[in-house]
Amino acid sequence: MEIFHNLYIGFVVAVHPVNVMYCFIGVILGTLIGVLPGIGPVATIAMLLPITFNLNPVAALIMLAGIYYGAQYGGSTTAILVNIPGESSSVVTCLDGYQMARQGRAGPALAIAALGSFFAGCVATLIIAVAAPPLAEVALKFGPAEYFSLMVFGLVAATVLAHGSLIKAIAMVLLGLLLGLVGTDVNSGVLRFTFGVPELSDGIGFVIVAMGMFGTAEIIANLELKDQREIFTSKVTHLYPTKQDLKDSWAAVLRGTALGSMLGILPGGGALLASFGAYTLEKKVSKHPERFGKGAIEGVAGPESANNAGAQTSFIPMLTLGIPSNAVMALMIGALMIQGIAPGPQVMNEKPELFWGLIASMWVGNLMLVVLNLPLIGMWVKLLTVPYRYLYPSILVFMAIGVFSLSNNAFDVLIMAVFGVLGYICVKLECEPAPMILGFILGPLMEENLRRAMLLSRGDPFVFVSPNKPISLAFLVASAILLVIVAMPAIRKKREEVFVEEG
Amino acid sequence: MKVKSPKDFWAGLMFMGFGLFFTVWAVIYYQMGTAVRMGPAYFPTVLGGMLAVLGLIVFFGSFAVEGPPVPEFSYRPLILISLGCVLYGYLMKPLGLVGATAALVYVSALGGHEFKWKEVTVLYLILVFFSWAVFVKGLTLPFPVWPEFMGY
Amino acid sequence: MLALCASTVALPQDWPSRPVHLVVPYAPGGPVDLSARLIAPKLQQALGQPVVVENKPGAGGNIGADFVAKSSPDGHTLVMGAIATHAINPALYPKLAYDPVRDFRHIALLVQVPNVLVVNNELPARSVAELVALAKRQPGKLDFASGSTGSTGHLAGELFKQMTGTELVHVPYKGSAPAVADLLAGRVHLMFDNLASAAPNIQAGKLRALAVTTVRRSSFLPELPTLDESGLKGFEMTTWWGLMAPAKTPQPVVDRISQEALRAIESPDLRERWRAMGSELPGVRTPAEFTAFVERERKLYAELVKRSGATVD
Repeated sequence: MEIFHNLYIGFVVAVHPVNVMYCFIGVILGTLIGVLPGIGPVATIAMLLPITFNLNPVAALIMLAGIYYGAQYGGSTTAILVNIPGESSSVVTCLDGYQMARQGRAGPALAIAALGSFFAGCVATLIIAVAAPPLAEVALKFGPAEYFSLMVFGLVAATVLAHGSLIKAIAMVLLGLLLGLVGTDVNSGVLRFTFGVPELSDGIGFVIVAMGMFGTAEIIANLELKDQREIFTSKVTHLYPTKQDLKDSWAAVLRGTALGSMLGILPGGGALLASFGAYTLEKKVSKHPERFGKGAIEGVAGPESANNAGAQTSFIPMLTLGIPSNAVMALMIGALMIQGIAPGPQVMNEKPELFWGLIASMWVGNLMLVVLNLPLIGMWVKLLTVPYRYLYPSILVFMAIGVFSLSNNAFDVLIMAVFGVLGYICVKLECEPAPMILGFILGPLMEENLRRAMLLSRGDPFVFVSPNKPISLAFLVASAILLVIVAMPAIRKKREEVFVEEG
Repeated sequence: MKVKSPKDFWAGLMFMGFGLFFTVWAVIYYQMGTAVRMGPAYFPTVLGGMLAVLGLIVFFGSFAVEGPPVPEFSYRPLILISLGCVLYGYLMKPLGLVGATAALVYVSALGGHEFKWKEVTVLYLILVFFSWAVFVKGLTLPFPVWPEFMGY
Repeated sequence: MLALCASTVALPQDWPSRPVHLVVPYAPGGPVDLSARLIAPKLQQALGQPVVVENKPGAGGNIGADFVAKSSPDGHTLVMGAIATHAINPALYPKLAYDPVRDFRHIALLVQVPNVLVVNNELPARSVAELVALAKRQPGKLDFASGSTGSTGHLAGELFKQMTGTELVHVPYKGSAPAVADLLAGRVHLMFDNLASAAPNIQAGKLRALAVTTVRRSSFLPELPTLDESGLKGFEMTTWWGLMAPAKTPQPVVDRISQEALRAIESPDLRERWRAMGSELPGVRTPAEFTAFVERERKLYAELVKRSGATVD
């Protein structure tokens, strides 16, 4: 059958020693920069682009791709170890992964993240191989109305992220939405809330906010513990997951993979939602949702699988249509164009060895990553036993250098410090940062799509629920249902509380 | 009326503050447009309003429902860590990687429980070397390594 | 083949004496950044000192441009000034901190890329004339997409509207990729996209190209008529960028860099890459011509932006 023939071509290309070498370089580099906070695959790929000019296109693409999905593996490492999300998709891993680390279970957390990512990567690659063109067509069906409804659904789901007061979670989401609006308004070109500061005209960077709210705030909070108790209990239980851990996680991995594969295809924002969505899903189907936020392994397994699956499937629009799903894909397109290859619909037919070679190398890359990362777990766990007074300045240095390198601008580091203070205040007042971060990411996208949908429909608000936009309608209905499901227990609890007060 | 939940009291105020700020600023400075052709002020105004309302609810709730008191603020780590980061950013150009890292390491170390000069200096040297090796040499990021007056 | 010979005044004795910073006022990976990274090694070879690309993105390029305008004019700081930073933004941002003509020496125009008018395949218009007729029959019904407010794609659309007297609705996006996606799906009807990124879709038959925005036909897609030929006389819009330096940079330094840069883009491998970007070799060859070019562009866009009503405040 055709697909076996294609896969055969692909593997022949992928196992060619030169390509294997570049794959290896790519995934190692990717893991490294994923671990380093601030420096992300975008900057790294951009810097390596000139080197790729002298390579043949297949090797170049294999290496760059390796950097990208390798960074997803590395990003979860810092999220679990020190509560710093390297990529937007690792934010959710911080929630339970870091708590697991504090309980001495960093090893199992890291292991499950790696294993789940590996499984997801393999499945997603298979999906690309089998169904890339039809899936790309599905992606094209998402217009502004559909994106808006998806975002609404995502925001309602965001409230599930919180394990405390629902009202405060919603308020944090709103705060995040508002902060996300700082910058240039796409639809009108007007600068909003920038107070004349040019550095704000492109908005506040996500990485900066995340590092401030999660990283810096956490360090400050840790430092105020008056006693000399180590932050991470030196009693490390296991290095690897227990049978119970694996039993708890496998379903989460499956669900996360499915969700991530589907959402990764959507250009612009789909992959981001994958990890958040997976976390929400896990919390909702779990029999003990109160464990989430305190070190539930499903809270790591699901999102990690989702974000890896999403990273792989996000190649689909690029490979089949020449449309980049995110900045990294745009870079890859740039790399190909410089080589004289125009990514688009004909690449699959005109250069099958490029297309299938890349796909096959994704398996190779994922395998390398899991083989690389599992033994490293021991090293990471050992790192946590370093006394905190050496650890935290080091973390700060890496965060600062990472943030500074984004735009070579001191202002960004200042913003990080500001959000550190805000994050600290929120910790004190029991307002959770995760819903805010999600609002921050989704807010501008939601507004942009809402206004664009209205513009295209010439002011017809019913365009979102019209029958010839079934996807949009479906998401809005789902949002309403989810809202009810989420609100019910909270309302019930509040009524109980009030009754107890009066009684 | 006695405040029963101090955390919610302050949280409510915070939310109201943010909400009102965004709403008022947007209404004054940007165009509202209509519901079908939204201007740049529309979204922030509506969202800011919603945030302010929620803040109000949380605020009033703090008088009704019991809640734990706000834990003490530790100003020393807060100020020193933040200061250290800010210094890093702004000292990078004049004092180079060497100077900026020094500022961050020493200032943030002061925010911790113990500060031993020798220890911190060793840590500083390791970190500066590592930063240089990985970022300047390895990733070829264009950071100045030495202070300006020493030339490049 | 070489540009005009350098003046007889000698170069400063010790220039360059340290690494030269080539500031790119955009995020890494975009076309301006890529071309900078391609030309940097060549300049490095020619000048004998490292040429380091430094990204200073933000505010549509203004942060990086302003940074260099205020940098020391000793020949060690250069910038890739683009149409956005030096022609459009001065009109768009009322309080721009630099003057695009007076605060810079314009060393060498490196890249000039035409835009191409593409329409969705389902649209019943196979030529510019048919498109104009369609637009006149349905005023306010056709949507044209662009990568952002104030981009060349947007302003090309505005100029088109003015010159043909049609009413099209502008739909801005964040970057041209999502715009192209909606164009492919038929949610918007037409777009002025840059040649290099539109070419694959055109060649695959996914989008229909009607004309190019330059006065000369593109050697890339020679069958495409120009808008000038199609009834919009004098329509000329390109996306361009090139090397610039702070205003007081010494003339011999400017001339030397100009020489080396032009030599670099004429070398076979860069020529190949430039073609892949859709860029012909620029017609502007000397720093003086470049300055005149920037002046002309600035005036053109000042007029266009004012008439389009696009603003940032």
